[in-house]
Amino acid sequence: MPTERIILHVDMNSYFASVEQQANPLLRGKPIGVTGKRQERSVVAAASREAKKLGVKTAMATWEAKRILPSIVIVPGDPEKYGEITSRFNAIFREFTDRVEMFSVDESFLDVTDCAHDYLGAAVIAHIIKQRLREACGEWITASIGVGPNKLVAKAASECMKPDGLVIVRPEQVLEFLSGLDLQDICGIGPRIARRLDAMGITSMAQLRACPPEKLIHAFNSYGLWLHHAAHGRDDSEVSSADDAPKSVGHSYTFPKDLQTPEDMKRGLLGLCDKVAWRLRRDGFSARCVSVYARFGNFSGTGKQHRFREPINDGLALFRIAWRLLRPGISRPVRLLGVSASELTSGPEQPSLFIREQKIAGTLKALDRLQTRFGDRAWTRASLLRTEFLPRTSGFHYDHEI
Amino acid sequence: MYETLNDPIDVLVTFAQNRVQPRWFRWNGRNYQVKKVSLVHTAREGMKRVFYFSVSDLTNFFKLKLDPDLLEWRLVELYTDGA
Repeated sequence: MPTERIILHVDMNSYFASVEQQANPLLRGKPIGVTGKRQERSVVAAASREAKKLGVKTAMATWEAKRILPSIVIVPGDPEKYGEITSRFNAIFREFTDRVEMFSVDESFLDVTDCAHDYLGAAVIAHIIKQRLREACGEWITASIGVGPNKLVAKAASECMKPDGLVIVRPEQVLEFLSGLDLQDICGIGPRIARRLDAMGITSMAQLRACPPEKLIHAFNSYGLWLHHAAHGRDDSEVSSADDAPKSVGHSYTFPKDLQTPEDMKRGLLGLCDKVAWRLRRDGFSARCVSVYARFGNFSGTGKQHRFREPINDGLALFRIAWRLLRPGISRPVRLLGVSASELTSGPEQPSLFIREQKIAGTLKALDRLQTRFGDRAWTRASLLRTEFLPRTSGFHYDHEI
Repeated sequence: MYETLNDPIDVLVTFAQNRVQPRWFRWNGRNYQVKKVSLVHTAREGMKRVFYFSVSDLTNFFKLKLDPDLLEWRLVELYTDGA
């Protein structure tokens, strides 16, 4: 049995844009940007390779992408389509190992130590995965694959050759490989950390490796130790395939126009609380903590949290707490609202002694059955008839799956 | 440019190797031959599963929707090159 791990990182190239170009051959070879269902305030969730070459970046505002590249074709995102393709490629990965960690909607780690045996075996698996992807998803949907002794190195390797690349970094090649990278090529070192390192005189991986760990810990606390290990290509984190129970359930939403009145804000917040509560009930949870956040038009914000004793999973009850928390901090029009329920409990609920609460619980059960059968538009509160939440294209999860 | 539609259409299909393939469809009084099926995917509408076929006649792109409960086809998206 091999003693060292062999990890694959599979990164789908320009994922949403590639799926659109696969579906619509007339878009192939053209600069396209996949955005939200409505284009005002949306960002480019994915730019095609052609658009990237001409300066469009992922997460760029749609108006900015159009300014940089007037010929860009803006395609409204189709999360259900991407969700199915994501399921298809994750099913392919599970043909090789049950240790598959979905890192994002278009990136996964695979621990292939047992099935690959060695790096030659890993290279064969990587090639088979690429072939199977073409068969199951289409010829236009490609992936870059990095192979390494841990997740950190495998991810950095997959970033090195795009599109459709395969980069293998054996354990003895790790330090040489890392020395050729910029600091920000490492997942976990963003612009802010890079600036702080720069202020310490550290601008390369070699300098980071040479820096005494005590100095890094002094500057970054426990993160300093992670930086020290990262510089040496060490990463003990497991490929986590377990469907761990969630720690919190939340929703946030940027509204098409800033919400001006408390009534509009209440409607928006109630809609979000209903979404959170539905997911809580569907997955058998109740919450004992509510956090709420508002971002204003000028991008400042306010947020608060409240813990309570009796667990709840009713949208209206969540809303009442959330609005009480949020109301005093609202000083200007609201651009974004977010609500999160945490300290989750599961298991049988204690039925209420009060008839009114028993009726509410019975109504919610009936509504949940409706929603399960006919989808999330099966019912709405009368007060929310004019409030619409469009599905987002980006994010870790697809809205229709949560 | 993209156009979102929801028009009922008549479709001629073949069933082969456990797959359904649209071959021709009639929309707005015109027949269109499906030259390429680029992607087939499904979506849930509550407990119902509907099928989407991304197809082209090499000039236009169409997204066709099949509701297997109603055996009903609809043209839901059209893309044509140019303005």
